[in-house]
Amino acid sequence: MIKLALFIWLLPLAAFVINILIGKRLPRKGDWLSVGAIGISFILSLIMLYRVLVDYDPNFLVQGSVPWIDLGVLKLNMGLYLDNLAVIIVTAVSTVSFLVHVYSIGYMEGDPLYNRFFAYLSLFSFSMLGLVMWDNLFGIYMMWELVGICSYLLIGFYFTKDSAANAGKKAFIVNRVGDFGFLIGLLIVISTVGSFNLTTIHQAVGQGVLHGGLLTAAGILLFAGAVGKSAQFPLHVWLPDAMEGPTPVSALIHAATMVAAGVYLMARLNFMLTFDAMLVVAYVGGFTSLFAATIAITQNDIKRVLAYSTISQLGYMIMAMGVGAYVAGFFHLVTHAMFKAGLFLGSGSVIHAMHHSMEKTGIHGDPNDMRQMGGFRKKMPYTHITFVIFSLALSGIPFFSGFLSKDAILGGTLAFAMSQSNPIHYLLPTFGFVAAIITAFYMFRLIINTFYGKPKNESLFKHIHESPKVMTIPLMALAFLSLYFIYTIPSISPAGPEGGWFTHLIERPISAVATQLGHPVLFIPEHTEHAAHVNGMLISIIFALTGILLAYLFYYWKKIDVEKFTQRIKPLYALSFNKYYMDELYQATVVSGLLLWNQMLAWFDLHVIDGIVNGSAWVVRNFSFMDGWIDKYIVDGLVNLVANMTLAFGKSVRKIETGQIQNYILGAVLGAFFIIILTMI
Amino acid sequence: MNNLNSLQYFLPELFLSASILIIIIVDLLLKKDKKIITAYLSVLAVLVAFFLAYRQYNYAFTSLFEGMIVLDSFAVYFKVLTALSTIIVIFISMPAFRRHSEYYILLLVVTLGMFLMVEVNDLLMIIIAMEMVGIISYVLAGFNKFNMKSNEASLKYVLYGAASTGVMAFGFSYIYGLTGHTNLFAIQQAIVGHSLQPLPVFIAFVMVVAGLGYKIAMVPFHFWVPDVYEGAPTPITAFLSVGPKAAGIALFIRFLITVVAHPASQTTFIQNVQIQAPLLLAVLAVVTMTLGNVSALGQKNIKRMLGYSAIAHVGYMMMALVVFNTRGFTAIMFYMVVYMFMNFGAFWVVQSMTPHLGSEDISAYKGLGYRHPLTAVAMAVFMLSLTGIPPFAGFIGKVYLFAAIIKQNWYTLAVIGVINGVISLYYYAYVIKVMFLDRDEEIKAISVPLYDRVLLWLLLIPVLALGVYWGPLIDLAHNSIGFFFGN
Repeated sequence: MIKLALFIWLLPLAAFVINILIGKRLPRKGDWLSVGAIGISFILSLIMLYRVLVDYDPNFLVQGSVPWIDLGVLKLNMGLYLDNLAVIIVTAVSTVSFLVHVYSIGYMEGDPLYNRFFAYLSLFSFSMLGLVMWDNLFGIYMMWELVGICSYLLIGFYFTKDSAANAGKKAFIVNRVGDFGFLIGLLIVISTVGSFNLTTIHQAVGQGVLHGGLLTAAGILLFAGAVGKSAQFPLHVWLPDAMEGPTPVSALIHAATMVAAGVYLMARLNFMLTFDAMLVVAYVGGFTSLFAATIAITQNDIKRVLAYSTISQLGYMIMAMGVGAYVAGFFHLVTHAMFKAGLFLGSGSVIHAMHHSMEKTGIHGDPNDMRQMGGFRKKMPYTHITFVIFSLALSGIPFFSGFLSKDAILGGTLAFAMSQSNPIHYLLPTFGFVAAIITAFYMFRLIINTFYGKPKNESLFKHIHESPKVMTIPLMALAFLSLYFIYTIPSISPAGPEGGWFTHLIERPISAVATQLGHPVLFIPEHTEHAAHVNGMLISIIFALTGILLAYLFYYWKKIDVEKFTQRIKPLYALSFNKYYMDELYQATVVSGLLLWNQMLAWFDLHVIDGIVNGSAWVVRNFSFMDGWIDKYIVDGLVNLVANMTLAFGKSVRKIETGQIQNYILGAVLGAFFIIILTMI
Repeated sequence: MNNLNSLQYFLPELFLSASILIIIIVDLLLKKDKKIITAYLSVLAVLVAFFLAYRQYNYAFTSLFEGMIVLDSFAVYFKVLTALSTIIVIFISMPAFRRHSEYYILLLVVTLGMFLMVEVNDLLMIIIAMEMVGIISYVLAGFNKFNMKSNEASLKYVLYGAASTGVMAFGFSYIYGLTGHTNLFAIQQAIVGHSLQPLPVFIAFVMVVAGLGYKIAMVPFHFWVPDVYEGAPTPITAFLSVGPKAAGIALFIRFLITVVAHPASQTTFIQNVQIQAPLLLAVLAVVTMTLGNVSALGQKNIKRMLGYSAIAHVGYMMMALVVFNTRGFTAIMFYMVVYMFMNFGAFWVVQSMTPHLGSEDISAYKGLGYRHPLTAVAMAVFMLSLTGIPPFAGFIGKVYLFAAIIKQNWYTLAVIGVINGVISLYYYAYVIKVMFLDRDEEIKAISVPLYDRVLLWLLLIPVLALGVYWGPLIDLAHNSIGFFFGN
């Protein structure tokens, strides 16, 4: 098992090394190498998943590690930690990654940096797989930064474009903020527990080595890392800009895998979250889910809608981790990875078609703009059908995977609110349910604007055509993976995942905090959970259908005039359209604040420090002649003396190499005598 | 164990001997332009010997041929190391020596000699093994028959070697006279059992040190080194500074542990011979590295510079010999491997660049960073690693060496070692400076064949890899020395 995992992990690394060094000279620019490596990883991960399914043991765990750095005080191991969680997420990552690799062959065709793109994809796959398999936080942190770098490189892949280069920098810098919290959290853990190993931390927290306020602080600081990486409020601003990267990258990194790393981290560290830390997590997630959804309504860039939708869905998962709906949150991570990757690849297919059409017609415009689309249904049948399937899954319609997981999250949140005495916690399910309506609404707004109605730009429409098979087949594969029964086998009930393999294999880990305190961190009675689940399911179906209905009213049947309606709620519309002015806010506060600070420092430098310097300069000038003299003849003299002495010593020592063998032997004999005398004394 | 039974534990050496004979015969049948085949056969032979030797790892300690030879993990470690160095040197030599099959056969004989050197346990065998390596080395040093420098190097090597072997043999005769044994264990028993006169034992010890010191190029028995290193063909220079030296150090360690000191416990040694061996070794280490470094400072010829730096590195390794414990020996064994890769790397750059640059002078490397960046960067890595700058393997090696002596409170020695590191930075960094900061107006790019580049990578990768992940190797070294300490 460990060997298998090692192959899965290291094959993409090998592909990266070869591709980045000599990829350009390989036939087909080395794409087969990257695709092949991740393909084998994908197959091996299926074998691994198969073994886990055969085992069917919720407590399955394989660990293996080798010593890496031994500095006496600090011992670090390199190791893998394979439990059901890791195996399932490895499979999900390798699946999406493989499909995206295949898709990229079509999408990136003819790009001048084709080989580098594949090399980066391989490096990313390696880092992401490592992130989910390492057995200690140090390794996770390392891989965490590596995926961050890959993300930076790939967002700025079209680096000649200013906006892309800036988006890359923005992603990197905003992530630094979160990662700084992560780092401090790590330092708290290492300074109290003395180890980064997950199992050791679990035991130490259980024994109360790390407790009380510090434990809460550690939990929240580690969560800060997740806030950055998973684009949660208030660090979400980088993700929409990250859409500057090539679309396959958006699908793989900024929708399915890397951004879910924060959720993964929260799942891994769920055992060490105190009640207070969980509340912070839940509220950040819940607020983000609603906040991002309201922005998605008004965006016109097809990828930006999806980006905000991703932020909103990640908010759901984070919220689930916070309210103790661990299984639901992780479940949504997996299902979301599939259908959101699909949505991005589908949008990529549309953009690809638009791009080619624009090239042919000579129209210069934004290929991502929905206002240029419409009626693509007939021209791109495969893209259309799969896109609808993904959207239904995302909206939470029964018979699709998204329904199961989203419903589980909403049910879990409702159960949490019902079990708490403080009614204010009903805010959390409210965030969730309102976001659910909005999600359904904006997804169908997107579909209707893109695929239905009349073409808004006839000349562009003429040249729209379906993408090649290498792009549509991954779409179909992902669509298949968005059907509900994949996750409920052996049960085929569409009502919930209970009885399926997934809920059997994933169990909420025993909370170390609960062991430490002697009572559960949060207690949700079973009947509450059941009631919440049934109610939650009904509400979420009704809300999702309402959202779809509204979208049809607005955009398909046009019963409500969008323009007029917009005018009526203009301030709200402007707020959403401008993303609540978050970018402007940061620009005005953080960025200008920093710049202002810099200016202040510069002023201080110029007037105060330089003043002092100038004032003292004339004093110094008087001494400088003498000083110079000392420097030249005494200090330099000393330095040069040492150097010259060393050189001269070398010279004189070398003189014993006379080239005369007689002298050599004489030297040796004298040396031997010297040794004897030395030791006799 | 008697002679017949011993043969089964003697497979690597037997295989090498058979291969040597077979390759000599094959050589007779080959046409003149096909002689390179013997090189491939030699690689194959050493490779097989390598694996045969490796399979002996973790065998229980065995005494072979009536106690003439012992087989333990320590010997296996060095056998594997020397075999690897031979393989590398054959690859380094291949482009230059395409028609000299005897060259490769001689290398195989040296390998056999080195195998014996690391496992001998008898005074007579020590002489035989050392001469086997020595005599062939003289021939190899003078292999460029029409080069005056090469001839001179060979002759000086012979004379110097003869003198020091003579001294060592004389020392052995003293030991035999005092104890009545040639077997190292028996000698140890005799020294412990009978209270011997300290003076003759001591003089004998110094004589033996002279012989061993000559082999590992320790001051004041290093005089031959610069001349021989400069005159010998570059691959041989590289080889002499790694393979036979490693074998010599192994022999030195074995002699020290079995005869001079008695491993009583894990950490401290009880000395059999009443001399201040640690202090003596410390002084020799300091003198060796200081002299090596200081002499290397003003060198114009890169091979001569590397030759002096090789002396300095012996000094570093001897530093850890002073503490006489597992930690120190482990550090030396680890450093030897690291040193092998970085030293071979540097010499390979010299060997592959000399035809392009037309000279072995450091000044000829001017602007190499622009003429062939890969080679220059690799050379810079080797230089930095030899200096001991992180994150390269040389740094880790030095960390272990210094850690070993600091643990035993040899602070003065450590400080002198660090100062020496600073001095060495000057001449190593000078090469980097010449390659990157000096440049001609017009850049004449050098095209390097694929073979050269691949070999360069193969030597570069371990230097980089061992700089970040060295755990298994240090464990292996630790495990190999464990036998002497009863674990």
